[in-house]
Amino acid sequence: MPNDLNQTQVSVVASQPLDQLKRGGAKIKRKKTRDYHELHPVVNTIFSVLLGIFTIMCVFPFIYVIIISLTSEESIVRNGFQIIPAEWSTDAYRYLWNVKDQLLGSYGVTILITVVGTVISVLMISFYAYAISRPQFKYRRFFTFLAFFTMLFSGGLVPTYIVVTQFLGLKNTIWALILPLVMNAFYIIIMRTFFMKSVSESILESARIDGASEWRIFFQIVFPLSLPGIATIALFSTLGYWNDWFTALLYIDDPKLVPLQALLMKIEANLEFMKQNVDVGLMQQSLFDTLPQDSAKMAMVVIATLPIAVSYPFFQKYFISGLTIGGVKE
Amino acid sequence: MKKKLVLLLALVLSIGTILAACSSKDSSTSDKGGKDGQPYEIKWYTIGTPQKDTDKVFAEVNKYLKEKINATVKMQQIDWGDWAQKSQVMINAGEPFDIIFTNGTDYVQNAQKGAFVAIDDLLNKEGKDLKNAVNPALLEGNRINGKIYGVPTNKEAARQTVYTFNKRLVDKYKFDLTKVKTLEDLEPMLKTIKENESGITPMATFKAYLPYDYTFNNEMPFAFPIEGDRDHVVNQFDTDLAMSTFKTMHSYYKAGYLKEDAATSKDSWPMDVENWFVRMGDSQPYADLLWSRSAKYDVVSVPAEEPTTFNDSVSGSIQAISATSKNPKKAMEFLNLLNTDSYLRNLVDKGIEGVHYKKNDDGTIEDLPARIDKYNIPTYSIGNFFVLDLYKDDPKDKWDKFKEFNEAAKPAPTLGFHFDSDPVRSEIASITNISKEFYPALATGSVDPEKYLPKYNKKLKEAGLDKVLNEIQKQFDDWKGKQK
Repeated sequence: MPNDLNQTQVSVVASQPLDQLKRGGAKIKRKKTRDYHELHPVVNTIFSVLLGIFTIMCVFPFIYVIIISLTSEESIVRNGFQIIPAEWSTDAYRYLWNVKDQLLGSYGVTILITVVGTVISVLMISFYAYAISRPQFKYRRFFTFLAFFTMLFSGGLVPTYIVVTQFLGLKNTIWALILPLVMNAFYIIIMRTFFMKSVSESILESARIDGASEWRIFFQIVFPLSLPGIATIALFSTLGYWNDWFTALLYIDDPKLVPLQALLMKIEANLEFMKQNVDVGLMQQSLFDTLPQDSAKMAMVVIATLPIAVSYPFFQKYFISGLTIGGVKE
Repeated sequence: MKKKLVLLLALVLSIGTILAACSSKDSSTSDKGGKDGQPYEIKWYTIGTPQKDTDKVFAEVNKYLKEKINATVKMQQIDWGDWAQKSQVMINAGEPFDIIFTNGTDYVQNAQKGAFVAIDDLLNKEGKDLKNAVNPALLEGNRINGKIYGVPTNKEAARQTVYTFNKRLVDKYKFDLTKVKTLEDLEPMLKTIKENESGITPMATFKAYLPYDYTFNNEMPFAFPIEGDRDHVVNQFDTDLAMSTFKTMHSYYKAGYLKEDAATSKDSWPMDVENWFVRMGDSQPYADLLWSRSAKYDVVSVPAEEPTTFNDSVSGSIQAISATSKNPKKAMEFLNLLNTDSYLRNLVDKGIEGVHYKKNDDGTIEDLPARIDKYNIPTYSIGNFFVLDLYKDDPKDKWDKFKEFNEAAKPAPTLGFHFDSDPVRSEIASITNISKEFYPALATGSVDPEKYLPKYNKKLKEAGLDKVLNEIQKQFDDWKGKQK
């Protein structure tokens, strides 16, 4: 989605000088003035067509998913996926309505962990990064190395699982979905560099002279100055939390705490299991009756992505300005 | 100044600890009990989608268990698709729990690793009734290096592969199914269906059947013939039988009896869509009845092999006691009761009488809506079938037929033999990859076996087929020697 919007803007911008040229050209006696920034009309057309095709390629899968979600199951089994289905049906959405308790619950969990997780994550990462970015901090080398080390070597799945479940006792709690993703060594290093580059020592010096405490310096001076960097890691960590399903797979047994993406993965994995173990299903048909069919799966994808897809255009300009502010300021 | 920065950092580090501490309330409470006459809590992981009424049913279960064996049970289901990965991580992490569902190769590998308790002694004391109740073939088939590591579900011990037909079409064209013995016999029927029924695919995609007992699975070359020389492992793809069977399959494929994408398709051919004529499946007594019920039209099966007891048919569902269990004896007492006590077995499986099911005057039962919606437990993964109440529409002699079926079954050549693949791990890895490439295409007839089968065998040879064959034969001879 983000790409296509960009491209449509680009092509709009590119076609503007062309219009002006036509209007201007009539006045200045057919004298061909060419803007240096203008593309040759042929090239422009080719690019527009190429980008147009690319845009359609980006949007098409999503439209296809919507179409499949509105196809009747009978028609999928008989004819496979079709662009214009033989038979339309809203059964898939009726199925979703039946499981709305689980769906809404999962939505709630996802939103909660995304909001809480992002806030905690951004705070912790920027605290850590700020501390190791300041030259007067004596142990900064050690702590930088400590973070850096985890980027190269990690404990692996089983030790992580042992720490989270047995040492911290987080199994089947909402914190198991939040805490494992809170710290990210890579973001710490990015933020450290960002703090070192964009927050000059002299600003902090002047703040100290005016009598600001460390807290005040951090929240009222450093934080606003490094907003672009913070916006970036906040965006990454939001996406990380929204799309995370693996921690839920490992640490959550309670259906009430399953986030949305994990729910989707679970359904997908259950279908896969069902296909590999046909005999289990045949002996006790009712076990798998509750599993959604292809169309319902697609309907769930629609439900899960739609909010983000719809809200993205409204936030896009903040993202772009947030990400570019740093570059033009100095 | 520096001090404050250190403080800041310390704060960051401590937030994590504080947050963790806030939520660690349930970890300390879980392993209490078992002493001072307190009922011991048995933690039981099993497969299936977690159900809404599990707590309600287990409140009843626990009431009963406290009286009987002074224990309570906490059953935690793990969803079908998550099972493989999650259970493996839990076992590897040494998480403390008592009983876990396991099956097939997972059971063998985890038992060899020492993740499960060997229960031979427990079976003689706490599990005496259980040992008497379970079909000996099931227990013997699950011995690994001479020891039993889990309680198999007492159900059908044998497997019988069958050709299943759509009865409506069989009747319509008056096909004589008694003549069907092999894949070749299907030809005239497939032809008729192809010519006259446009909406029907003659063959629901299946892999051609070969009469072997597989060391790994049907995709891998290593197999012991069920008929004839049962003591020597062969490469099943290097036999005349494989060539002729795949040739037949290829001619069917060319004739359009199978879907074109048969080799790669993941289509599961759901029974309730009537778009097929013949399919292959594993049968059990009264399977046609079950299948017809779920398909909502009649199907009829013809056996492709005699019922045979295979390693994987006896290890389809096993309850193992974890090596991390604090009280294996209590766990065994519970398993013993679960497999022999009809009240408990029905309670765990069907829920509470009057809430999840109702009992008719003649002793048969019927599901109430609550059982399907809120307590739909997979029967096969819990325990003994033979103490279960029958459903209203079940045949009265259902369990007798199961027993007959088990008794009629012949043991497969390698029943009880579990190959340890460690010495030839890298060869097996590359053979697996080669097989994944060739087998689906050959077994669905998508490619010409004349051309591809020799190519396949050549690649297998290069990947170290002979080394693995020798290793299997060596271990098999060792095992066989110990049997006598």
